[in-house]
Amino acid sequence: MKRRFIAILILSTLCVLSLCAQDAKEIVKKANDLLRGTHTYSEISMTIVKPEWTRTISMKSWSLEPDYALVYISEPARDKGSVTLKRKNEVWNWVPSIQRIIKIPPSMMLQSWMGSDFTNDDLVRQSSIVDDYTHSILGEETYEGMKCWKIQLIPKPEAGVVWGKIYLWISKGSYLELKTEYYDEDGNLQKSFFGSDVKTFDGRSIPAHWEMIPSNKPGQKTVLDYHEMKFSINLDAAFFSEQNMKRVR
Amino acid sequence: MSSRSEHHGQRHSGNLYVLLAWRNIWRNKRRSLLLITSVVISVFVAVVFSSAQFGQDEYMVHVTVGFYEGHIQVHGNHYWDKRSFDQSMEMPEREIDEVAATAHVACVTPRLETISLISHATTTKIASVVGIDPEREDNMTGLKKRMVAGKYIETGSTGAVVSEGLAQLLHVGVGDSIVVYGQGFEGVTAAAIVPIQGLVKYPLPDLNNSMVYLSLGFAQQLYSAPSRLTALAVLLDDNKALDETAAAIKKVVDGDKEVMTWKEMMPELVQGIDANDAGTVLMLLILYVVIGFGIFGTVMMMTVERTREFGILVLIGMKRWRLIVITVIESILVSAVGLVVGVLISIPPVYYFYFNPIHLGGDYAKAMLAYGFEPIVPLSIAPIVFTIQGFSVFGLGVLSALYPLFVIRSLRPVSAMHG
Repeated sequence: MKRRFIAILILSTLCVLSLCAQDAKEIVKKANDLLRGTHTYSEISMTIVKPEWTRTISMKSWSLEPDYALVYISEPARDKGSVTLKRKNEVWNWVPSIQRIIKIPPSMMLQSWMGSDFTNDDLVRQSSIVDDYTHSILGEETYEGMKCWKIQLIPKPEAGVVWGKIYLWISKGSYLELKTEYYDEDGNLQKSFFGSDVKTFDGRSIPAHWEMIPSNKPGQKTVLDYHEMKFSINLDAAFFSEQNMKRVR
Repeated sequence: MSSRSEHHGQRHSGNLYVLLAWRNIWRNKRRSLLLITSVVISVFVAVVFSSAQFGQDEYMVHVTVGFYEGHIQVHGNHYWDKRSFDQSMEMPEREIDEVAATAHVACVTPRLETISLISHATTTKIASVVGIDPEREDNMTGLKKRMVAGKYIETGSTGAVVSEGLAQLLHVGVGDSIVVYGQGFEGVTAAAIVPIQGLVKYPLPDLNNSMVYLSLGFAQQLYSAPSRLTALAVLLDDNKALDETAAAIKKVVDGDKEVMTWKEMMPELVQGIDANDAGTVLMLLILYVVIGFGIFGTVMMMTVERTREFGILVLIGMKRWRLIVITVIESILVSAVGLVVGVLISIPPVYYFYFNPIHLGGDYAKAMLAYGFEPIVPLSIAPIVFTIQGFSVFGLGVLSALYPLFVIRSLRPVSAMHG
């Protein structure tokens, strides 16, 4: 009788635990789905701020999750027409000034993309914050006046992830990813990602202003401003071709 | 009068000791030649060995420094840490000339260097792209001598000189064009199609697979960095003047520039040399023990051989201390002859291998290549090699002479006479 009672206790505890875990994962999934459509078009300006200089790049981006993306640079004039194409885990660049397509070799994947705090690898990374991590809710915090869940993400052993852990702040109810902190395997903060200025695009309310701030480079950050977003455009894999890199406007 | 004759007598007896010692040496030529030979061989081995070790140190510095980096480099502040155009510098010709005019500076060469993608058809490789002043670069690193095809760049050229290994990887040759694609100053995209006008060959695979040289002006234009440099490399006429010259250059250049010596730029090279030196000291100690016992054994044998002679001399009234003085002088003379002959006969091979370094083969050669060195062992002709090793062995020889000294002091003449 006693043994049976203990068994039930353990079972119910496990149930509650898994429910909690399910819950955290569910929250992350909802927030992730809100930001990432499967057939997405966006217009973005990216400002690279360094202690010595600042540079703004305007671009249009098409993506077919999870394998395909194409980014067209429309400003500055010098780089106008440059295209970055992601197909599976490969990246190509179209350089209009010399009319050539260049494949980015694997050894360059961790180099900066267009001089920003994003790497080429950030563009193609297959890892998903939903599937490649174990999630748990650490508690509730108020961020920028909004009640948020603070969620910890620990990479699964088999996931090819460079981070030791990630903290996510997701607003309650609206599922906005307002703040993300990336830590290395020694537990040092590597970079922070902040979302703000919530706007409605294509019926979804999401942050339109993002700042990526690396922790070890004072005076440096990358700012993204979304001007236009569509989440269900008509796209297929054929769009992401080398020929189209030269044609797309 | 009497004091004069006494003085004269003393001088005479002083010479007499030397004379007696000299005669003793030649009385038994075979015995003395044996001892001299053992000192000669010891000096020879010690000199050649340490010359090879010193040579390797000098070679490591010479290669790394003279090959490319220079003894000293001037950069924009923090460039060496960050290696980015953000830390590049503006350096007017006047400032370059002032650095070049500093004492001990043999030559200088300005560079604009960065990593870029080099692409041809469907192949893309990563390479160091270096904008150079063709004449100055050749002066310092002898780049022109490394040309294996095509022609060297001139000031204002819009072609590239590519390392041979990289050209092979990309399947291109002189006359073909490569795409240089990278990031310029302030994040601007840098892209150009550049014809290959020449090939250079490096013995080191890493370097041979990754170098692209452009004229400085063309590189500055390509990377949107007009009149900017990432480094001014400085070669000295004497590595010993490293620190004082660095300090002198620091006074000449602007405050927002860093002046670094090769020791600061390449701490791993310093560590390599230190490790090498520690190994050398250990090996020399072992060598000295072997040499010391060799000489000591010879001296001991000779002393035993002469015990009867010592016994007779003491018995017929020779003061022991006089005998000791003569024996010590004998040892010093023999060691000195050994020292001089040893150093003299080690000079030709050391000089020969200084000018004709030994080429290594096998795994050690591969290891050296992997570390970025040509697998050769040049010998050093630094005077210190000869003096230190020569006098160390000489000291060992004299030290060995203490043995007969003890024998003579405790000699029992009668039993000594009977053997």
